[in-house]
Amino acid sequence: MSLLNNSDWYDIARQTNWTPRYVSEVELFPPELSDPYGIPASEWSKFDEPYKVTYRDYVRTQREKDVGAYSVKSAVDRVSFYKSADPGWKALLQLHFGAVPFVEYGSVSAFARMTRFGRGPGMRNMASFGSLDEIRHTQIQMYFGYEFLGTDAAFDWAQKAPNTDNWVVISERHAFDDVEHTRDAVSAAIMTNFSFEQGFTNLQFIALSADAKRYGDHSFSAMLQTVQSDEARHAQIGEPLIEIMINNGKIAEVQRLVDISFWRVWKQFSALSGVCMDYYTPLAKREHSLKEFVDEFICQQFLRNLRALGLQKPWYWDEHFLPDVETYHHAQHVGMYLYRKTGWWNPVAGAGPAEREWLEKKYPGWNETFGEVWDVITDSILKGHFERTEPSVLPMLCNMSGLELSGVPGKKWNVKSHHVDLNGRRYHFGSAVDKWIFELEPSRYRGHLSLVDRFVAGLIPKGPDGVYEYMSMAPEERGRCGQDYQWAEAFRNRKAA
Amino acid sequence: MSSFPLVCNYEGDYGLKLLLVDTADTMDAVADQARKALVGVVVKAPRPTAVLRVRRHGDRIPLPRSLKVADANFFPMEAVDIYQADA
Repeated sequence: MSLLNNSDWYDIARQTNWTPRYVSEVELFPPELSDPYGIPASEWSKFDEPYKVTYRDYVRTQREKDVGAYSVKSAVDRVSFYKSADPGWKALLQLHFGAVPFVEYGSVSAFARMTRFGRGPGMRNMASFGSLDEIRHTQIQMYFGYEFLGTDAAFDWAQKAPNTDNWVVISERHAFDDVEHTRDAVSAAIMTNFSFEQGFTNLQFIALSADAKRYGDHSFSAMLQTVQSDEARHAQIGEPLIEIMINNGKIAEVQRLVDISFWRVWKQFSALSGVCMDYYTPLAKREHSLKEFVDEFICQQFLRNLRALGLQKPWYWDEHFLPDVETYHHAQHVGMYLYRKTGWWNPVAGAGPAEREWLEKKYPGWNETFGEVWDVITDSILKGHFERTEPSVLPMLCNMSGLELSGVPGKKWNVKSHHVDLNGRRYHFGSAVDKWIFELEPSRYRGHLSLVDRFVAGLIPKGPDGVYEYMSMAPEERGRCGQDYQWAEAFRNRKAA
Repeated sequence: MSSFPLVCNYEGDYGLKLLLVDTADTMDAVADQARKALVGVVVKAPRPTAVLRVRRHGDRIPLPRSLKVADANFFPMEAVDIYQADA
């Protein structure tokens, strides 16, 4: 007996829906979990996802992808590769595998909530595949990362990270809890699938994959690309959802959701992808700068998608986002190097003579701004004052992003805190946008304490190791300079010459 | 005399820092504490002819050098700029 063609039955299966008889619609789909925007059920049945797949085809395709990715991995002696890898590449892998898997794992439940509480049957169908995708992403990234565990304990953070209160992890949890895990299915889908996945995952998974290929890390490159191939499908949940919202008069609500989530996710990817691309990837292997990748994937592709849907670019685009692309990740990188003991990876400076020349070319003015901080760090190392490359004071963290509250140093010094006073507590934000997000819904954010807030409140154990104990970091887990300060030697020879 | 948290924006630094000062400290003492923590770490030494002044973040006018933290009416975690001025 021959099988039916997909087209003969697909539309019946993807639109599975029913009128509840034993409970009410509201009991089945509580608005606060499902749709608080009051879109009629008849409108939701119009959800039409661009990519359609059957479970049978899904399993077959995903298996082929896994065979592809895992066979590349097994063809390469990964442990030898890692042992001989550039310290910058090691830092990149350590950071990625600690920071990313648990976010993927979180998305499993985010999609599961869309599966349960999505009003459109087509959306529920796609979200169920999305949930399976994210299980795959968690597994593959933990599996690839764990291979190095016998060589480098940093990769234990692929599993350990979310079980700690490391400041980077607190920042990530805050951002992705806000965007994915603590909103109704409609809002979470717009924020997650459209802003986060369509907007930014290309940066970490396609752009970085290009760098990985150039570096010769074909296994990592293949892993990133196979993850992104799933994103390209399930990220499509956002667009038909937005169309339905706009057709039902909710364009202002959609715009706000996009504006909030774009910024929240940008902060995370700027720190993660930006530092990896512009500092950790060895110079000769860099495909493009962060700014160039952002221009391609976000300023061109994402804005095009946004406009095609009838939305505007976020209100802060010209005054805050574009300048941030030129500066934010540079500041975050300085902090990650100086406060390296608070991270699980071993950062490299990426500030040798040739690197500085490249940075100046890609970001004119870098040397008289961020370069001036690196001048001081370099000088300390050349004089043997390594202790001066680790500040004795804590950095102030933004009460929205949880990352360092930073700006531009040096000759164009410009660091601004935007603050809000609420119930006797002062909240500091690194930008007007972070402050705007807070002020939209203070009750949502006001209870959160950054690591620095916890320190001031006396919640961190006392003593020089108190912060590390709080973050569950034994001495051997704390980051150190990935090049043992050798990068600065190039300047000694220059000075001597 | 007790500990008081300020957020310090030191001239030339790339970001803000938490500075735990004493309520009995003068603005000069606050500036000096920041200088010791940050000069040679993230910023170069001040000009020899400059004096470090403290002002509320974003203000134009510096606070009096002898003003104590206890008398400055600071909010806990108030941000202050610490910058070089001509002596």
